[in-house]
Amino acid sequence: MTFRSLVLGLVCVAAPIAVRAQVVPQAAPAGQVRVGPRGDRLTGPEAGPVDIIMPHIIDSHSIELPYWGERELPRWKPVRIGSVAIDVSPTKHVVMLLVAAVLCMAVLIPAAITHERHHTARGSPKGFATGIEAMVLYIRNEVILPNVGPHGNAFVPFGLTLFFFILFANLLGLVPYGSTATGNISVTAMLAIVTFVVVEATGMKTQGWRYVRTVVYVPPKEIPFIMKLFMVPIMTVVEIIGKFTKPFALAVRLFANMTAGHVVLLALISLAFTFQSYFVGLAAATMGVGSSLLEIFVAFLQAYIFTILSCVFIGLMRSAAH
Amino acid sequence: MRTSLVASLLVLGNALPLAAQARPAEPPKLLTANGGLMFWTLVIFLGVMFILTKFAFKPITRAVEAREQALEDSIESAKRDREEAARLLEEHRKLVAQAHADAQRFIVEGRDAGEKVRAEILEQAHREQQQVLDRARQEIESERQKAMVELRRDTVNLAVRGASKVIEKNLDDETNRKVVESFLASLESVGNR
Repeated sequence: MTFRSLVLGLVCVAAPIAVRAQVVPQAAPAGQVRVGPRGDRLTGPEAGPVDIIMPHIIDSHSIELPYWGERELPRWKPVRIGSVAIDVSPTKHVVMLLVAAVLCMAVLIPAAITHERHHTARGSPKGFATGIEAMVLYIRNEVILPNVGPHGNAFVPFGLTLFFFILFANLLGLVPYGSTATGNISVTAMLAIVTFVVVEATGMKTQGWRYVRTVVYVPPKEIPFIMKLFMVPIMTVVEIIGKFTKPFALAVRLFANMTAGHVVLLALISLAFTFQSYFVGLAAATMGVGSSLLEIFVAFLQAYIFTILSCVFIGLMRSAAH
Repeated sequence: MRTSLVASLLVLGNALPLAAQARPAEPPKLLTANGGLMFWTLVIFLGVMFILTKFAFKPITRAVEAREQALEDSIESAKRDREEAARLLEEHRKLVAQAHADAQRFIVEGRDAGEKVRAEILEQAHREQQQVLDRARQEIESERQKAMVELRRDTVNLAVRGASKVIEKNLDDETNRKVVESFLASLESVGNR
């Protein structure tokens, strides 16, 4: 009940925002009359060709807000660690990550509290908590536990956080004024590095000294000595490269999937302005709707894939037969 | 907990060389890594993981595990109850079968006993009948003997009286009597036959 009224309230707030939303004027072919988004004729220099796709995708130091328009985010002095300077001033994607984090907590923690109350009151959850429980249980029982191997309960919070955090970050790209933080290679790289560290730390903890065998290739006994001489350096390099390709693939997969969807969507919408035609506009809108629906699916799918692959890597490292 | 701490430290260490590549002065490109953003990603992710683990995943997992445990327990107890019931049923079946066998045995035994008693009664009746018959026969015999003796005495008396009447006239009593007695003795040996 409260959830439904919340959604209703959000819709009421969002409707005027959507109406007021400004569309960036589009380029028209030279020699023709330039038409703005509201049918007004544009003659000024601002009506020239503008790249709307890249600014939408890449990070920036400003953020668009409903009613306030575009706002500059504060700039802080770069933090110096030795000779390395890191600019830690917040960007659009940092804000989006924070929003995703807050949304995660705002959805999951009340659900957990309700879940626990229902559980003690009547033995089983009901309503929204059941849905959250179903998702949590699915990720726990079908994605994390079978892949990380036996006694993998310690990895459940990590996997669940990966899934929900990436999911919310993905979905934020699909709401007005939102931006896909997971469409930024820095974000996905950091998430992949976290996975990498977890995988390697797990390897060191569970394998002990045998962890070295996942770095240096140890040939089987039946291979002749001459062959070993060649095999060991080559295969060691392969092993080490293999260690880094996994998180690299994770990072690029998520980044590319999230970026590609937005590029496709924006390109489709731009078709209408490029051709200056209502028919093309209709077709573009139809395809845009389809593409957006696909994007919702991809948002879930990529969060799922990132989680399951992280768990598979952890499981591989824990069993480490290679 | 300790693992995540170690993980975060390692991640920081790993992030530094990558962060060094980022040039804050350059305009951001699609494929350039931004050290600040990476740092924030790490901080936010670890924060979310910590808070969600503590306040969301632990309670849900705990409740679900408790429920799984309860389900398992009830399944276990149901299984136990069913085994108990099966055992009782088996026991009852055995008892009923036992009772049937007992009843059958009782019937057979009863019939045998009845048969025996009947035979005994019949035999006794036969015996008694025989006894009665024998006694009757003996009585008849003895009565007959008695009657014969009586008849003989009467006959003797009659004969003696008749003869005495005759002999009174010619002979003395004593001599005549002897003659008659011997005659009767001869008669008796004939009559006994």
